[in-house]
Amino acid sequence: MSEVAVKPGRHREATLYHALHGAGAGDGRTLEQLREAALAVYESTPLPVWRRSGFWTTSFDELDLDALQVRHHAPGEALPEVVRETIPDRARAGRVVQVDGSIVHVELNPELAARGVVFCTLEEAAREHTEVFTQWYSKRLTCERHKLEAANAALWTGGAFLHVPAGLVVEDPFEVVYAIGSPGVAQYGRTLIVGERTSDFRVHEYDLAGDFEGQALHAGAFELYLQDGARCRLAQVQDWGTGEVFDASTRFVGVGRDAYCHWLPALLGGHLVRQHLELAVSEPGGDMAFRGVFFAEEHELLDVFAVDLHETGPSGGDVHWRGAATGASRASFEGLIQIDPGAQQTHTYLQIHTMALSPKTRLDAIPSVLVSADDVSASHGGTVGELDEDAIFYMQSRGLDRTSAVRVIVEGFFEPLVSELKDEPLEELVRGKIAAKLARAREDIEAYAASR
Amino acid sequence: MADLEIRNLHVRIEEREILRGVDLTVERGEVHALMGPNGSGKSTLANTLLGHPTYEVTEGSILFKGEDITRAEPHERARAGLFLAFQYPVSIPGVSVANFLRMAINAKREQPINVKEFRTQLQHAIELLDVDRSFTSRHLNDGFSGGEKKRAEILQMAMLQPDVAILDETDSGLDIDALRTVAEGVERLHTEQGLGALIITHYQRILHYIKPQFVHIMLDGRIVLEGGVELVERLEREGYDEIRREFGGVSV
Repeated sequence: MSEVAVKPGRHREATLYHALHGAGAGDGRTLEQLREAALAVYESTPLPVWRRSGFWTTSFDELDLDALQVRHHAPGEALPEVVRETIPDRARAGRVVQVDGSIVHVELNPELAARGVVFCTLEEAAREHTEVFTQWYSKRLTCERHKLEAANAALWTGGAFLHVPAGLVVEDPFEVVYAIGSPGVAQYGRTLIVGERTSDFRVHEYDLAGDFEGQALHAGAFELYLQDGARCRLAQVQDWGTGEVFDASTRFVGVGRDAYCHWLPALLGGHLVRQHLELAVSEPGGDMAFRGVFFAEEHELLDVFAVDLHETGPSGGDVHWRGAATGASRASFEGLIQIDPGAQQTHTYLQIHTMALSPKTRLDAIPSVLVSADDVSASHGGTVGELDEDAIFYMQSRGLDRTSAVRVIVEGFFEPLVSELKDEPLEELVRGKIAAKLARAREDIEAYAASR
Repeated sequence: MADLEIRNLHVRIEEREILRGVDLTVERGEVHALMGPNGSGKSTLANTLLGHPTYEVTEGSILFKGEDITRAEPHERARAGLFLAFQYPVSIPGVSVANFLRMAINAKREQPINVKEFRTQLQHAIELLDVDRSFTSRHLNDGFSGGEKKRAEILQMAMLQPDVAILDETDSGLDIDALRTVAEGVERLHTEQGLGALIITHYQRILHYIKPQFVHIMLDGRIVLEGGVELVERLEREGYDEIRREFGGVSV
């Protein structure tokens, strides 16, 4: 590990808001040893609280963890309604569905299986594909930064594993689904994906729950490693519904030599969501586009920490996020560009645009830059927006009513990123969810406009 | 029953009275020019006619096809067949010209317009306004030049086929070629579809391309002089100062 890490004062949060930065737990220990080490942390630490500069607190104190349980289901059990109704019915390379604590559905296009693709539960990978599993499992994820991360590392069940062999190009997406079927559930989902040399594929992850009453937890871990020249388009649609779903997840994407990743999480709902998302260019020539959209409503709290990490150069980065909030929701996006010593000829840019649609909402957008190389360019920008009354009048003068005009503005605000999904069914899903949120917040938005 | 009838209209913004009793009638198929110096209240009238919330009508009324629309929502006025080509069109990022047009057309209809019909109309409008095909896939007014914005306004007008259109300083900021294209577009809609137009302008040059039958001169929130196209020639000779000396006794 390098010395740069985090020096107090250089970055506003010196304890918890920082990059994992290569602190992988997978250091030769067996899975059992890793689970044991994580369990010790899990049992000896309190529920996590993230604080930033005294002005922002994300606390899991209200989660009654002891009341939750890992619930199991038999393979082949019917998929929850929310899964059947949300996920577009379309051509796919394969699908792994975890409901609560169990994988209930695994499918893989037989042609791809014949060509060496492995797409199965992570449990099976640990048993049957030990070489790849051991090489990559938890290579760049930690297991002891906080109780819920440790809980995942110690207690994960089911899980998804995808291994795409060298040179293989797969057009249709591999789908990974984590669904919470009912309240009272703790779900520890874990995904490991390895794209070998010059492979080219898509991954769509869905994190879904129905609209139930009561608490549930998703503590997730996700890691994706792209080898030399590999390309991946990774999209994630998260909507935990209106129940009290807590989500504390850590996701890491490692980009190898001349590899490329386009990563777009769409974080569209959850009672209390804390996401650590880290995209690291680890080898020369790696490039990435790190996109994201979020929309918080009602009393939700969303806390995103997104890291654009450059461990070596030359490398490219382009981070672009857009978020909106309605109701009394709170949303914080902190984006960190970190360029390590020696990562010369890195060029990266971070932009974050937000739109507050209610007087009671709170939206924070905080870019940070931590640069330890001199021949680089790293900058950030962004906008804080509200509804433009002149734009609304303009559209009304063309016959659109006020509600439609607001919808057009907000959808237009997200459109540059949604259209980057370059996948019609997924784009339609995200657009539909944004439209539904706007419809729910209609009165709120109109009252806000009238008050100004 | 007149198509657009403005009766004794008084309008204020915040505490300031801008329009102080305007009377004006525009029928389908007629071309009117409303001229006046900066600050005389022309744009206030345009925005008030479409119901901009900033402008408060304190007296008088606006009738459209016999209906009192003085308090109607902007979209209701648009759906009834009134159109405003903006002086400064706002940009709508993330929404293509074509998609926006489809939404605006469908807002007026019970059944959505079918794809083929829409394409035919769009093709016709594109040719009329002499714009590139790719124009309609760009985001509305986003990064458009001044001339492109004005063309986009007239393109929308051609597609929405209003009965009466108010063109607010559509000629400002246009070079001579763009001005000619835009003016020809308006002229064609006037002759082919019987569009009634209220052309608001500070200058005379657009009126070399579109001949108005009626000319109204506005000063300090009132129409002080009305006549035919000969008024335009008089303005060209004398300028607004002469008219102000004659009629502008109540200058602010």
